[in-house]
Amino acid sequence: MTRHLAKIVLFNLALTLAFTLAASAADTAAPTLKLPPYKKVKLKNGMTLLLVERHTVPLIGFHAIIKAGGVSDSIGKDGTASITANLLRKGTKSRSGDQFSQELDFIGGQFNAGASYDFTTLSAQFMKKDINKGLDLLTDVLMNPTFPQDEFAKLLKQRQDGLKASKDQAQAVIGTYFNAYLFSGHPYGRPNGGDETTLAATSRDDVLKFYQSYYTPGNMILAVAGDFSTPEMEKLVTQKFETWPARTSPAINIPQPAPFTGKKLLLIDKPDSTQTYFQIGNVGIARTNADRVYLNVVNTLFGGRFTSMLNSELRIKTGLTYGAGSRFDQRKVPGPFLISTYTKNATTVEAIDKALEVLKQVHEKGVTEEQLKSAKNYIQGQFPPDIETAGQLAGLIADLEFYGLDRNDIDGLYAKINAMTVADAQRVIKQYYPLDNLVFVIIGKASEIGEQVKKYAPKEDTLKITDPGFAVGAGQQAASK
Amino acid sequence: MRRLWFYSLITIAAIASTASAQTFDVKTTTLKNGMKVLVQEDHTIPNVAMYTFYRIGSRNERPGTTGISHFFEHMMFNGAKKYGPGEFDRTMEAAGGSNNAYTNRDTTVYQDWFPRSALDLVFDLEADRIENLSFDPKIIASERGVVASERRTSVDANNAGILFEQLYATAYTAHPYQWPVVGWMVDIENWTMDDLKHHFEMGYSPSNATLVVVGDVTADEIFKLAQTKFETIPSHAPPPKVTTVEPEQMGERRVTVKKYAQLPIVMMAYHVPESASPDQYALTLLQTILLSGQSSRMYQRIVDKDQLAIGINGGFGFSFDANLFNITAQPKAGVDPVAVEKAVYEELDRVKREPVTDQELEKARNIVLATFYRQMSTISGRANTLGAYEVFFGDYHKLFTAVDNYNKVTKADLQQVAQKYFGEKNRTVATLIPEKPPEKTDAPKPAAPKSDPAKN
Repeated sequence: MTRHLAKIVLFNLALTLAFTLAASAADTAAPTLKLPPYKKVKLKNGMTLLLVERHTVPLIGFHAIIKAGGVSDSIGKDGTASITANLLRKGTKSRSGDQFSQELDFIGGQFNAGASYDFTTLSAQFMKKDINKGLDLLTDVLMNPTFPQDEFAKLLKQRQDGLKASKDQAQAVIGTYFNAYLFSGHPYGRPNGGDETTLAATSRDDVLKFYQSYYTPGNMILAVAGDFSTPEMEKLVTQKFETWPARTSPAINIPQPAPFTGKKLLLIDKPDSTQTYFQIGNVGIARTNADRVYLNVVNTLFGGRFTSMLNSELRIKTGLTYGAGSRFDQRKVPGPFLISTYTKNATTVEAIDKALEVLKQVHEKGVTEEQLKSAKNYIQGQFPPDIETAGQLAGLIADLEFYGLDRNDIDGLYAKINAMTVADAQRVIKQYYPLDNLVFVIIGKASEIGEQVKKYAPKEDTLKITDPGFAVGAGQQAASK
Repeated sequence: MRRLWFYSLITIAAIASTASAQTFDVKTTTLKNGMKVLVQEDHTIPNVAMYTFYRIGSRNERPGTTGISHFFEHMMFNGAKKYGPGEFDRTMEAAGGSNNAYTNRDTTVYQDWFPRSALDLVFDLEADRIENLSFDPKIIASERGVVASERRTSVDANNAGILFEQLYATAYTAHPYQWPVVGWMVDIENWTMDDLKHHFEMGYSPSNATLVVVGDVTADEIFKLAQTKFETIPSHAPPPKVTTVEPEQMGERRVTVKKYAQLPIVMMAYHVPESASPDQYALTLLQTILLSGQSSRMYQRIVDKDQLAIGINGGFGFSFDANLFNITAQPKAGVDPVAVEKAVYEELDRVKREPVTDQELEKARNIVLATFYRQMSTISGRANTLGAYEVFFGDYHKLFTAVDNYNKVTKADLQQVAQKYFGEKNRTVATLIPEKPPEKTDAPKPAAPKSDPAKN
């Protein structure tokens, strides 16, 4: 039992800040922030390699981004990118899935692969002494996967049952329902991991096609961080990867999502609920939005830390919930802005009203000089531990590269934060925080709360938690098949 | 040629790092009131991780006040003398710091993460609440709601949470590990102000605490700050000794939970000894071989080969008293949980019957070593791990000798602990059996969309 759930992430997942700082200057001068020196190399086959040293412990971390994610799944085959990533380790030209696991675990290594909306991520970590073996495993799954049919069938069954397990737990699925409802018709509305219908429609050929289209050297960024010397690691990684023949990957264009105008509400009935989970929001900002730093500061105050306006009203002052917060998911094109919390069935309306009141207040009152200063200190005080490890550093520099940003994004950050004024805050609140146009998604016990929540929108859509898929109408498609 | 040169360099590094695990220079002092202080300097980032361990948790509770340690943990943030309600968090965040805390069956741990510029302030905040915590009835009422919500999220809305609670309640008949750390809902609703005050007096003596500071500090400045801020806080008697020892289990115990769900869950647990036991290292390696990674025996058999479950995990944690080694699996749709149980028992019988392979033992040691490095890679991980070893093993040095102790364990040791603990009579099994949704009440049903295909 903890006092509150893990620190609310201020920026995107894995997107945190790196810096070097003269420790002795910390007490007096304003802190400065600079990424440690890192090297960028373009391999002959088009692969981008990034290298940064970190010598605290004898570990080396790899973070690869393949520039295609769930957005690139074929229509009706949602989950393909994610299944492809999961199957990489399940068989190569020279190893069975079993052998891969044996060899990986034998050296105490870690390997993870998964797909988000914009891209696919592979991350791995090895002890320094095992770097050759580790690199061998990593290159093998990237360059020589065979996607055996029996492993595909096994994973698909696990995924289908995994969906049932997830839907047994509201917190595990509310975000997927929210995205589906908010981004209805846009690629960001599709379930990354697939749903009951799309998984059934996906074949091994779809996986193979996805791999052949998008897993190419020119489509990959590989960041390496840890206990090594840069020239040696550059040589080693180059040798291993330059045998990968160059191929062209199709360009990916994600349309700009349109914010929802008006109000709409989706209620998902989960009859055993003792607590209602809800998310409220609209379309937010892209990762490269020019106002992102200001919004990160403002959202720290609004819903990004323990004493935020939302958590103060919904937890600290009223005890309605264990935690309330808000965030802007920053992606290639604007992702969602959302307020998220939960409360016991009987206080559902009280909690939603309170959340809306806090939203209204931030529009009316903005933030004070004192609050602004507190948020600036908080962000600068909390960043350093977010880029402490090799894995964190590798993740950050790969992320910057993917979004076409560079080290100035980090090196100029503290100056930008410190120059921000109350007027800047008021402007971005007005511009980016929704007020009258809101999308509501609620999971709870419909027989208790269904009537009460109708007041928030002119139209109430409903689903049962056992209905296939995550979108209104998805079940209809399933039934007609 | 250069390639060869690089390889040989790595080999040398390999020999150097396996000879013995990396150690970190830790300095310690004990204040006059009994509070022990551990400091490890690290100037990689200009930040500090400060962990305060109190040797008090749900094992120090009694029926009627279950969960009060955890509730008290929440109250430690709700106002003292110098810093009133809400001030602890507001002041710390404004200075760039953040905090959290956790409670388990044995300990309550307070965590502060902050830039070194906030060092003096954090000591001031901590001293104020340890010495002068206030108990405001209105705040207690509000915090009760927070904790009830936490319980709903971690237990009631989480099938594994519900089942885990029943598993412990069944496996223990006498010892206080039988109740949940968060407490039974009825107890959360009924603690009194006196219960809270009594808990504070019982558990929060400086002599019952260990302070661990890791990061951009010097040991001297931390010792000085600790003396100024903490040493004047009077010590008193520690919590009464927990004398209850769980009697030996004399036969399998089974418990079921029937509730609305789409998939069943099954948990199997065996009584194992406390962390300080000499069997700790062999059991940890056995846990690794059985449950760590996709090459582990349980994953290979249950998830991969027989495809009985979508996942399997488990193990055991640090504890003062005899603990449970648990194995949890989520059966696939249509698979009888009993079939999963049967396969698990066969795997356990196999480690009892025949020694593990040399390769498996070496793998387990490598995983343990890599895990150690991961824990050591952040100031926060180091503070937590140093504190845990100091508290549960009585000496933080055990952290740095752990790798050597793992290297001493033999295949015969593993077989022996498997035979000793993984017996049918020592086992408790909890199963969640899915039920259909509750029958429609007469409350109004929300208007279904016209296209609702599932309508009957």
